[in-house]
Amino acid sequence: MRFLPHTEEDRRSMLETIGMTHVDELFADIPERFLLKPGTLELPEAASEAAILRHFGRAASANLHAGQMRCFLGAGTYHHFVPAAVDHVISRGEFLTAYTPYQPEISQGTLQALFEFQTMIARLLDMDVANASMYDAATSVAEAALMARRVTRRDRVLMAESLNPRYRAVTENYLARNGGHICIQPADAFDERDPIPSLARAIDDQTACVIVQYPDFFGRIHALAPLRAACDEHGALLVVAFSDATAFGLIEPPGHFGADIACGSGQALGIPMSFGGPHIGLFACRQRFVRQMPGRVCGMTEDAEGRRGFVLTLSTREQHIRREKATSNICSNQGLMCTAIACHLSLLGDAGIREVAMRSAAALQKLIEQLPPAITPAPGAHYNETVLRFPDGKLRDAFIRAAREAAIFAGIPLETLTDRQTHAADLLVATTEIISAEDIDDYAAVLHRTLEPRK
Amino acid sequence: MSATRYSATTGLVHEEPLLFEQAHEQHEAMALPGCAAEEAPSPLASFLRQKPAGIPGLSEPEVVRHFVRLSQWNHGIETGFYPLGSCTMKYNPRVHEQIARMPGFAQAHPDQPEDSVQGLLSLLFELQQALGEITGLPHVTLTPAAGAHGELVGIMMIRAWHDARGDDCRRTVLVPDSAHGTNPASASLAGMRTVELKSGPDGQIDLTELKSRLDDRVAALMLTNPNTTGRFESQIAEICDLVHQAGGLVYGDGANLNAIVGKARPGDMGIDCLHINVHKTFATPHGGGGPGAGPVAVNEALAPFLPVPRIERQGEQYRIVRSCPQSIGPVFGSIGQVGVLLRALAYIRAFGRDHLHRIAEDAVLNANYILHRLKDAYHVPFPGLCKHECLLTDKFQNRHGVKTLDLAKRLIDLGFHPMTIYFPLIVHGAMLIEPTETESRRTIDAFCDAMLEIARACEKGEVQPMLDAPTKPFRRRLDETRAARKPVLVWPERANGSSADRS
Repeated sequence: MRFLPHTEEDRRSMLETIGMTHVDELFADIPERFLLKPGTLELPEAASEAAILRHFGRAASANLHAGQMRCFLGAGTYHHFVPAAVDHVISRGEFLTAYTPYQPEISQGTLQALFEFQTMIARLLDMDVANASMYDAATSVAEAALMARRVTRRDRVLMAESLNPRYRAVTENYLARNGGHICIQPADAFDERDPIPSLARAIDDQTACVIVQYPDFFGRIHALAPLRAACDEHGALLVVAFSDATAFGLIEPPGHFGADIACGSGQALGIPMSFGGPHIGLFACRQRFVRQMPGRVCGMTEDAEGRRGFVLTLSTREQHIRREKATSNICSNQGLMCTAIACHLSLLGDAGIREVAMRSAAALQKLIEQLPPAITPAPGAHYNETVLRFPDGKLRDAFIRAAREAAIFAGIPLETLTDRQTHAADLLVATTEIISAEDIDDYAAVLHRTLEPRK
Repeated sequence: MSATRYSATTGLVHEEPLLFEQAHEQHEAMALPGCAAEEAPSPLASFLRQKPAGIPGLSEPEVVRHFVRLSQWNHGIETGFYPLGSCTMKYNPRVHEQIARMPGFAQAHPDQPEDSVQGLLSLLFELQQALGEITGLPHVTLTPAAGAHGELVGIMMIRAWHDARGDDCRRTVLVPDSAHGTNPASASLAGMRTVELKSGPDGQIDLTELKSRLDDRVAALMLTNPNTTGRFESQIAEICDLVHQAGGLVYGDGANLNAIVGKARPGDMGIDCLHINVHKTFATPHGGGGPGAGPVAVNEALAPFLPVPRIERQGEQYRIVRSCPQSIGPVFGSIGQVGVLLRALAYIRAFGRDHLHRIAEDAVLNANYILHRLKDAYHVPFPGLCKHECLLTDKFQNRHGVKTLDLAKRLIDLGFHPMTIYFPLIVHGAMLIEPTETESRRTIDAFCDAMLEIARACEKGEVQPMLDAPTKPFRRRLDETRAARKPVLVWPERANGSSADRS
């Protein structure tokens, strides 16, 4: 067994040192009736590395993926380009195979990378501070709601229906067992009216926070100023969620609107889609709430000789100290993804992030311009995601099938995400800088072809 | 603009400034594919970001060198022994990295059509089956993102099971004082009240204490077996019976599964629900704090309450089921940490039914060997057979003014990552050592020699090197109090020299 270094002689002599003759004696404290006979579990036989590669390789090649397909899928996961250097850096054994940096003197690499990550995320979102990650966007939003309830000592959480339904569902689930109540303010992709004023009116003196996604789940962008004003009036927190953080290379970030907490996905900043994980949840807030923040944070300090160094800090919030009174139960987070993002963002810099965002937005704009008249795009301003309304669900599904034939994942049937039959003719479409002009031409061509028989 | 700093590597020791201190004018952005545009689409005109974020853009050679130099400040399992108790720092096979990066996995979108990811789903289903078989708890959710997330999911399911029986007053979770901090924190997050169980004088669950706490409000006992003192709770069957008779369920914290994997199954012992830290037992890399994954395995009774989405096989097809009537609902934005889960399956496949038990055998052998070699030089609070980790304290060294923290830091100077310190909380000055199955005898002996050298030095009164330690790394002990008192969590200086404060 290639992962086990001992020889039989090592084992024998080590047992002898302990005063044992047989390995079974090491398990004498387990009641005999619970001990298994070796080799009796119903598992496949041991496999060589070559056999494993073959098994997994076959399974991998049975999938379609964004390397072969033109990917117009979004809803929280985006196919942005990740330079090889990012993967190289996080493949370094010193980053990859380190534990949580509890011994800072021999973990300064991870710690400095975390500090750089926190700084970049705070700057990208224009927030005071960021933590060292949450599991994903959905749990990050849930933790934001819990934090807002701690800060305000209120129970009511108000969410816009235009918050990604998965973030919403996980947040409702996290809150459901701790009392309080949740209000959902209706919103629809095709409503021409600005939904923000009515959301602002729903904030009251019992409201812990309002959670709004920006750009929202349907890809729309709205000015959030009325929410800030209403939150100030009623003492509630403004929580701004997001799905594709590249947006803030181009449009004003959550901090611009005075967000108290900004939370969402960092997957778009250098993490492969990987069928949903591992991704990363970003979490940033105002300095004054830092002691109510969930998750690990890295802080700057000095060593015994006055030299700069970094440590995990504010740990009195955390489970290993505070136990049942901790701000969160999170322990392992998405550490390696922080390093990936710090690396990716420094390769891009301000100019590169803006360029990614410009191209992602331009691709969507070009796509919208080429839509046949029978297809209605959602109204309003969009970054890189929108909803296309088809004359009916059958046509939409025919288009999805035809597009797949042309190596295009055309979008996500909206009702599969929202569970609303009113969305059964809607398609959620996203673009990134990977989508070329030719991809869009092909998309439009298939769309026109699919609609042609109607003429 | 901060001065650009460069620090040479001298004798493989180097300083490395922050990226922000290396910032220089970005003469050109990275070349990108896609649709070039001179201007942002007009509907966005009123939303355009007015002030750039202030993220320095460097060339690829600069970035790669920066991060590789940072990496060289880290201890990792690939660079040395990492005997952190309860963390199971074992070797992470390199083939796993190749697997997770196969485009058919890494470039699959979570919402692409189900029939286009059958290969991936078949592997995840295979992992579900394997974890069910290994734990003796046949129904598995792969979704939880980490161990603590698995605990939350498990307690949510247990709560739902009680509620479904109309027993909705059961809101107490018993947690031994030796438990991981995540246990009570997860129970609280699931809306439960925790009651701490005081461990017996042997560090084990005290049956009398347990009985006195069991009543009709107890939903569950959360237990770790072997427990965090490294010893197996031999009365596990009696413990489970007592909890069941009182109407409660038993939650198993699978953090220590490495001690018994392939040798015995929690499900056979009466445990109803168990999370598995695949980043421990099944060798997925810790990544400096994550990502991990914490699948949860349950018995028949709890199966209806598993979270969604679930992966099921229907004939030849694998399906993602997104809604089930009694499910506790979704707990994560996707099906799970897929890249991590694939690595775990590869580890299970490498050992297979023939060799899986050898993981536990070598892990337990190594821990007992260390315990045996160190038991005269260090205080052993709970003598006897241990499982995959052994617990020592600093009682003997205290007499010489040396405490656990000093011992740990001294180990760094002697070339080892310290063990877990000050955990479990039930013994004073705890040192919890877990060697795992992937360390050679030579490494383990060298570690024991270093520990014995430290103990001898203490006996001789040569304690200054302990108190000063570490002296070898490029940083000495870091001031954690200062970091916490006035937290600096982001770099305050902007490229233009202004401070970033915004209140």
